[in-house]
Amino acid sequence: MKLQTKYHGIQEYSEKDVIFFKKGIPGFDNLTKFIIFPVKDNEVFSILHSIEDSNIGLIVTSPFNVMSEYEFKLSDETIKRLKIEKAEDVLVINTVTLSSKPENITINLRAPIIINIKEKLGEQIILNNEKYLIKHPLFKEEL
Amino acid sequence: MLVVKRKEGESLLIGEDIEINIVSIENGSVKIGINAPKNITILRKELYKEIEEENKNAVNIDTSMLKSLKKR
Repeated sequence: MKLQTKYHGIQEYSEKDVIFFKKGIPGFDNLTKFIIFPVKDNEVFSILHSIEDSNIGLIVTSPFNVMSEYEFKLSDETIKRLKIEKAEDVLVINTVTLSSKPENITINLRAPIIINIKEKLGEQIILNNEKYLIKHPLFKEEL
Repeated sequence: MLVVKRKEGESLLIGEDIEINIVSIENGSVKIGINAPKNITILRKELYKEIEEENKNAVNIDTSMLKSLKKR
């Protein structure tokens, strides 16, 4: 199938690539079906794109690129809802807010998006740990 | 919206398994104790709003700037 996105060209996908977010994503509560594909010019980043709204694609990246010791515990309820059986099936991504100044680009470490890549189920969770910032600089200060 | 007046130390029950307790009231702040099943998410509303806002910020139409970041 083809998804004509408004800002990221045409994306090929098949039904099995579609990730179902039962609860939607905060801010986009009515959107439940997404696909993920790498950014063309820089594959460290991906786009989590709605297949229901051609305007909505969130920039995401792996938090471990930014903070190798990033960690949190998934609640039993999340594990159950996402039907997680093995740690290897879990993909963790976090949203990125771009800025024309690289030092102002941030990653939201407070609200990781958890995806069971095997079952294609996803959910954004909000961590209680205040150590993780909503606007954590993506690059370290030597920039 | 249901509005109920409660005093310090008093409680409210919501359904069968949620209890809201007014622990203390000081200088315009209310300290609330909540007993609820684990599957109920309890969040400060501001935090949820901030996450909503940040998700909207992550919908950026111009990814061309990422190209120049490649080598970092």
